[in-house]
Amino acid sequence: MIQKKICMIGAFGVGKTSLVARFVRSIFSEKYQTTVGVKIDKKVVEVGGQQVTLVLWDIAGEDALTTVKVSQLRGASGYILVVDGLRKATYETALDLQRRVGEAIGPVPFLCVLNKNDLRERWDVTEADVEALRQKSWPVLYGSAKNGEGVEELFQDLTTAILKVPNVRDDTAGEAT
Amino acid sequence: MSLASPLREVAGQDAEQGIPADPYQRLRQLLLGPEQAAIAGLQQRLDDPELRAEELSRIIAEAIALRARHGNALQKALNPLLEEALRVSVKRNPQLLADTLFPIIGRAVRASVAHSLRVIVESLNETVERSVSWDGLKWRLESFRTGKPFGEIVLAKSLRYRVQQVFVVHRETGLLLAHVSRELDTVQENEMISGMLTAVQDFIHDSFAETDGTELDSVELGEFNVWIQHGPKATLCAVVTGTPPRELRTVLQRTLEDLHSQFADVLGHYDGDTESASGMRPLLQACLVGQQPREGKPTRSRAWLWVALPVAALLFALVVNWLVQRHRWNVAIANLRAEPGIVLTSEQRTWRGYRTSGLLSGLHDPMAADPAGILRRAGIDAARVNARWEQYTSLDPRFELPRHIAEEKAFVERQVILFRVNSSQLDPEQLLKLNDIQSALRRLQDYASAGGTKLKVEIAGHTDPTGQEVKNATLSQKRAEEVMKALTDRGIGADAFIPVAKASQAPFQWKAGSYIPELSRRVTFRVTMGDQRQ
Repeated sequence: MIQKKICMIGAFGVGKTSLVARFVRSIFSEKYQTTVGVKIDKKVVEVGGQQVTLVLWDIAGEDALTTVKVSQLRGASGYILVVDGLRKATYETALDLQRRVGEAIGPVPFLCVLNKNDLRERWDVTEADVEALRQKSWPVLYGSAKNGEGVEELFQDLTTAILKVPNVRDDTAGEAT
Repeated sequence: MSLASPLREVAGQDAEQGIPADPYQRLRQLLLGPEQAAIAGLQQRLDDPELRAEELSRIIAEAIALRARHGNALQKALNPLLEEALRVSVKRNPQLLADTLFPIIGRAVRASVAHSLRVIVESLNETVERSVSWDGLKWRLESFRTGKPFGEIVLAKSLRYRVQQVFVVHRETGLLLAHVSRELDTVQENEMISGMLTAVQDFIHDSFAETDGTELDSVELGEFNVWIQHGPKATLCAVVTGTPPRELRTVLQRTLEDLHSQFADVLGHYDGDTESASGMRPLLQACLVGQQPREGKPTRSRAWLWVALPVAALLFALVVNWLVQRHRWNVAIANLRAEPGIVLTSEQRTWRGYRTSGLLSGLHDPMAADPAGILRRAGIDAARVNARWEQYTSLDPRFELPRHIAEEKAFVERQVILFRVNSSQLDPEQLLKLNDIQSALRRLQDYASAGGTKLKVEIAGHTDPTGQEVKNATLSQKRAEEVMKALTDRGIGADAFIPVAKASQAPFQWKAGSYIPELSRRVTFRVTMGDQRQ
């Protein structure tokens, strides 16, 4: 059995926890996020006939008061950036977070999910914005925690990407190439 | 020939331009000139150390970064050099390293000292508790008997705790490396628990710890304890019920060290593959020590009584004894001071064993009471008191009368009434003596009646050892009665006298075996007052 640490990152209220809740049944209450700053869940996915246990670190959303702590990102094999399509500010936060996380833990695979796709007509984030991300060769997915759209693929895709990464030594993973 | 001269002309021009005259060489130059120049350039680059250094400097950083990604051979190769460089640097300029370390060394020392102190205090508490408890004594005895270390026995016998689960968590990722549990139906969420444990530690560290190097090492929740042991690459978490003994820390620490040495590769490059860490389980099984927590309340709070009660009782007894002894001494000293005829010039109480002894010195009138008796009456062993008394005569009026009596008594008892051979007749000169005796006895009688007692005078008649003893007895009796009669004639009541016939039993000894007959024919007196003597 392979275990991988995955972080859920994004601005406050973008639906990180809801996406995870769609994906697994939690044993820890959401209270943990506001107290300890992180809630941990587990999900077993199967990629190419191999079972992988994803340990999901659902990190408290970034807002004016809370910032993502490097200690919680340490050792992650990949991360999911969550953007709320209804709020453009969360898109900007994601850009900023991606840069900071990259600095903190190095170039590990990540996925950007544009959440609340069920309310597409009210979106603040435009098609051009999404295109800009794709220009930066970000893998972008549309998803909805409400109807479950894209959720399974999200974790499946990320796991696939993680397994493709050659097993580089931990101590050089953070180095720029 | 016609061709040769123009060629030679050209050769002459070429020689000026550095082109060889030899046609073969010339041909080579024409064909390979550029390559030759390139080779010469390359050769210069290879041969010129300065040039090579400059070229190498442009790529060395990238090269090292690249090399590091293919393994740690470079680190290994550089290690001795770096160590030596550091050593030389420290030797040459120790201040540099001191300045560099200065900002962090204080923290490190503080953290280390604080940790050591905590361990010491913890161990002291437990040692005290154990060394005085009944269990502790039993375990010591068993350790002595079986030769097993005491710590081992404590671990085995402390029935108050039980290690329920042990997690090994990869430090960097928070991923679970291995897990063992007493329960067979283990919870399936261990991966999440180990992640959460890591997150909680990070949270506490980020929120409260001021310095690096301090770590959360235990979490307590009622009867539940999570003991956390930190290593450089992995963290060992033991979930314990009850009150675990200090020795458990040592077990965890040792296990963690073993894990680090036996699984150095796995820990160094853990990629999440639990199979690679499955070999850790047997090591962890060894940590599942302890037994069912004992029923009832822990006896912790009562342990101190084992020491406190006897100590308090002993202290109490000592204090009481000290007070009693001091009181007795003070009473004795006060009594000695109050006693007429005793002048205490110095007194010192010393403490030998748990009883009083002391030094006394002063003046003592023979007429006064015996100081040893006064000490005894106060409850002090006179044999333990070193007393030095100088004799003196007290002017105390209370001694005037007794001294008079003693003088009169001594006077009377000194008197001897002599008789001629075979006679009980009193000579005139002897009668004169009786006058003095009579006045002395009268004074003694007055003293006696004033003191409410009676004067008794034993009048003993004696003979010399010649003649028959029966006759001597009669004679001595007659001599005594004669003296008694003479004294009663002088006005002293007969009831004061006891005439005694001594015959020749007590002749006047001069030397051993010889006597003086003249002085043996006599009457002597013994005076007693009241009921002191018969």
